[in-house]
Amino acid sequence: MFEEYDGRIRLVFKDRPLAMHTLARPAHEAARCAGAAGKYWPYHDRLFAAQPAFRRADLLLYAGELGLDRDEFTRCLDERRFAPDVERDIAEAQALGINSTPTFLVNGRVVIGATSIEEFRTIIDEALKARP
Amino acid sequence: MALALLLACVPEASRAQVELTVHPSMIKGPLQAPVTIVEFSDYQ
Repeated sequence: MFEEYDGRIRLVFKDRPLAMHTLARPAHEAARCAGAAGKYWPYHDRLFAAQPAFRRADLLLYAGELGLDRDEFTRCLDERRFAPDVERDIAEAQALGINSTPTFLVNGRVVIGATSIEEFRTIIDEALKARP
Repeated sequence: MALALLLACVPEASRAQVELTVHPSMIKGPLQAPVTIVEFSDYQ
């Protein structure tokens, strides 16, 4: 989908782990550790593929698969270096009233829940049309 | 680590305007893209 609209879409990911998903928080922090090493999106994709295998050992394994420095990644994860960043994302989502996932903002238009490719294409096309 | 981008959004639902803090590594696609999709999601 992203490739289909080559160059016309910018995608921004915001962490919104739900409180009931106790394994999610470390996974979100781990992805940011990977991001600090320049591998945010490959790690992000790996997490979605691995869902919900998010124990510490799993998170370290995925980092290894992507060739990330094991010691540095382990330190980052164990120190919970990005916990405040994830926390801030949650606070920003809550301030916007976003309490379920996934929720999308398409040029500010709210799209709640898993949406079919077709529906999404329509929403994106409308957003493109609204802009010169 | 520096945070590069602030976005303001106005969802119809809450009419709230909130400044979003975004780390550059969590953005894909060109800065000048006409459509920005912000995805709030949960890995679990």
